[in-house]
Amino acid sequence: MSSARDRTNRGGLRIENLSVRYPRRETPALNGVDEWIEPGEFVVLAGPSGCGKSTLCRTLAGFVPDVIPAEIGGDAWLDGQTLIGHDPAKIAPVLGYVQQDPDAQICTLNVWQEVAFGPENLCLPAEEVAARVHAALSEVGILDLQERSTTTLSGGEMQRLAIAAVLAMGSAWVFLDEPTANLDPDGAEMIFRVLGQLRRREGRTVAVVEHRLAPLVPYAPRVIVLDHGRVVDRRRIRSHYDLAEMRLRAGWPQPPRDVRTCRAADHPGNPSLVELADVGFGYGDRKVFRHLSLTIGRGQVLAVIGPNGCGKTTLLRLIAGLEAPESGRITRTAGVHLGFVAQHPHHQIFEQTLRREYAIDGVRDPSRLKQLLSEARLSGLADASPLSLSMGEQRRLTVSTALSRTPELLLLDEPFIGQDRANVIWVLSQIREATERGAGVILVSHDVELVASISDSILYLGDPVQIGSPDVVFEALAEQGKHAYTPGYWEDHH
Amino acid sequence: MIGGSSGIGCSTHESGPVGNMLLLAGCVAAVLVAPGISIKLAVLLSVMVVARLTGSILFLARKLRFVVLFSLVLFISQALSVHVGRVILFGRVTDQGLVLGAEMALRFLVILSSSMLFVAITDPDELTHALICAGIPYRFGFVLSLAVRFVPFFSQELSRVREAQRLRGISFSFRRPSELRRAIYYTFVPVLVSGLVRVDAVTMSMKGRAFGIHRHRTWSRPLRWTRIDTLFVLLSAALLAASILARRFTWM
Repeated sequence: MSSARDRTNRGGLRIENLSVRYPRRETPALNGVDEWIEPGEFVVLAGPSGCGKSTLCRTLAGFVPDVIPAEIGGDAWLDGQTLIGHDPAKIAPVLGYVQQDPDAQICTLNVWQEVAFGPENLCLPAEEVAARVHAALSEVGILDLQERSTTTLSGGEMQRLAIAAVLAMGSAWVFLDEPTANLDPDGAEMIFRVLGQLRRREGRTVAVVEHRLAPLVPYAPRVIVLDHGRVVDRRRIRSHYDLAEMRLRAGWPQPPRDVRTCRAADHPGNPSLVELADVGFGYGDRKVFRHLSLTIGRGQVLAVIGPNGCGKTTLLRLIAGLEAPESGRITRTAGVHLGFVAQHPHHQIFEQTLRREYAIDGVRDPSRLKQLLSEARLSGLADASPLSLSMGEQRRLTVSTALSRTPELLLLDEPFIGQDRANVIWVLSQIREATERGAGVILVSHDVELVASISDSILYLGDPVQIGSPDVVFEALAEQGKHAYTPGYWEDHH
Repeated sequence: MIGGSSGIGCSTHESGPVGNMLLLAGCVAAVLVAPGISIKLAVLLSVMVVARLTGSILFLARKLRFVVLFSLVLFISQALSVHVGRVILFGRVTDQGLVLGAEMALRFLVILSSSMLFVAITDPDELTHALICAGIPYRFGFVLSLAVRFVPFFSQELSRVREAQRLRGISFSFRRPSELRRAIYYTFVPVLVSGLVRVDAVTMSMKGRAFGIHRHRTWSRPLRWTRIDTLFVLLSAALLAASILARRFTWM
C-alpha cells in the first residue's frame, strides 16, 4: 500500500493499468497501459492508426469520459493528483491538449481573442493576458495575424493558432495530437523547434503524437510505441540509427524508395488529360497564382507541394471544375472521368453501409465488392456503417470508392495526413495501379519523401513557382535555400 | 468606413456592440410605434445609410433579396384583401389597403434589415462581453458567440457536401418522394455528422482551456464606446422620439 502511495506521490505523470473501452466497440482502445513520464521530458507517442495514441491523450486531459463516453479502468496521477474522472477544465491549467483538427477547436472569431480565451478563463490580470498572447503568437510565428478573423485563416495558420492558444495557458504539461499534420515543411520544423524550446528553456513536459519521427530526432525524444492499446516499446531516439532500429524492431513497413512503374511516355496514344494554359486565380484581392501552365498526361503522377495557403487545394478545385479560373484556360480532354479524394473523408460519405456506399459508384456485384473491401483492408465491414469506421478506414473507403469507377484523372488532396505507414503504402499502391492502367494522378502533399518516391513531375507552388521533373525541382529548391522541401532533409540536415 | 464587424461585412471595429444594439432597438421600436408610412420610410432609409457607411450594403443587399420579395407579397396581398376606403385601382384596390400594405411591408423590411445590419457590424465576442456586463452569466453569454460561429460553418459544410455529390455524379430528381428522401439523407447526414464532430471538438477546446472553472473571467479588451456609438444612439433616439410624437399627435 505504501509503495502504491509512493508511486502516486512521485513527481511526473504516472499511468497505471489504464484501459479505455468505447461503447459498442469489441476491442478496448487502451488495454492496460503502464507508463511513467518524468517532468521536463520530451515524449513522442507513436504507433499505427487506431493504436490508442489519441485516446491516451484525451483520457489524460480528462475528455474521456467527460466529453467522449467510455468505460475506464486503472488510473493516472499527475504530481500525485488523480486525473481520471476529473473535470477537464480543472486539468487544463496544468495539462494542455492540442487536438488533431485545428479548425474544429477554434471557438472565437478573432486570432487575438482565441489565444486570450484560455488565460482569460484563468482570471489572469489583463496585462498578463496580453503578454501571454503576444508571446504565444510570436513563438508560433503568427503575431502579424493577431487582428485577423479566424474564419479567414488557412489550415496551417489555424494549426499554429491552436498551438498558440494552448501555449498561452502556461501549462507545465503540453500534449499535442499530430500538431504538424497540416503544416508545410518549414512550418513543421518551426513547431518542432518551439516544442524543443518549451522543454529546454521553460522546463515544460512535451508529449507529441506524431507519425513522422525523423524531424524529432534532434530533440532526442523518448518514443513510446503503442499497438492495439498497449505499450509495445519505449526507447530514447538520439540518432537516425536509433530510429531505424526502432522501426525495424516494431516491424513497421517502409514505403518503397521509388514506386514509379510507368511514365507518361508509356501511354503515347493520348498523352494529355488536362491542360492548364496561363491560368490565374485569386480570392478577392489575394492572388493565389498567375500565369500557371501545365499538362497532365496518362500514366503520369504530378505532385503539388508548397507552403500553406499557396493554392494547392485551389488548383485541384480548379481542375475538378469546382472553381472557374479568373484568367487563362483549363482544358480537360472530353469524356475524361474524374476521381476526387478530399482532405476530410466524412464529406464524401453518404450511405448507411459500406455496401450501399460502393453501390453509389455502381459496384453491386458481391464478388467485386468483396475484392474491393479486401484490397482496402475493410473485409467483413460490408454491412457496417461508414460513420463507425476510424478516420484511417474512412480515408481508405473514399480512395477505394473513387478508384472503383476507374477514373482516368485522379485528384488526391493530402491523402497521407494522419495515416500510418501501412495505410500510406496502401495509398501509394493504389496510385501505382491507377497509373499502370493509364490514369493521370495529381497528388497534393506536404510529405516530400513520399512525393519524391512516386511522382513523375513536381509543381512547387511557392514563390517562385517551379515545375519539372523531381530532380530538377528539388535541385532548384535546394539552390534557393528551401531545403525543407527537398527529400532527405531531416536525415541529412540534422 | 465606420462601424464594427463580425467578419461578414467589413473588418474595422469602430462601433461597439452596445451602440449597435441600441441602434437596432431604436429602429425596431420606432417602426413599431410610428403610425403611417413616412417615419417607417425614414427608419428604413437610416438603416440603409448606416449600412452604406459601415461597408455592409452589399452584404445586406444579398441577404435582403428574399426579404424584399416577401415584403412585396405582403404589400400586394394586404392591398388586395383590405376593402375599406376609396377604391383607386383595378376596381378593388383601396387607398387604405395600399397604406396598410405599405406599412406592413415596411415594418417587416425594417425589422429584418436592421437585424441583419446588426449581425453584419457586431463582433459576437464583443456582444457576448456586453451581455455579460449586463448581468448574464458568461457561460450562457458564450452560447451566442458559438452560435454565430456555427452559422458560416454549416453553410461551408453544405457547399462542400454538395460539391462532393457533384464530383461523384450524385444527382436527385425531386419528382419522386423516395428521391427527395435520398437527397435529404445524402445532404443532411454528412453535414450533421460534421456538426456533431465540431460540437464535441469545440466543447473539448473550451474545457481544455479552463472554461467555466471560475465564477468570473477576465476580459482583457474592455468594451469600447466611440463617437460612432454616440451617433447611433442619437439617431435611434431621434427616430424613436419622432415616432412617439407622431403617434401622440397622430401626425403622418
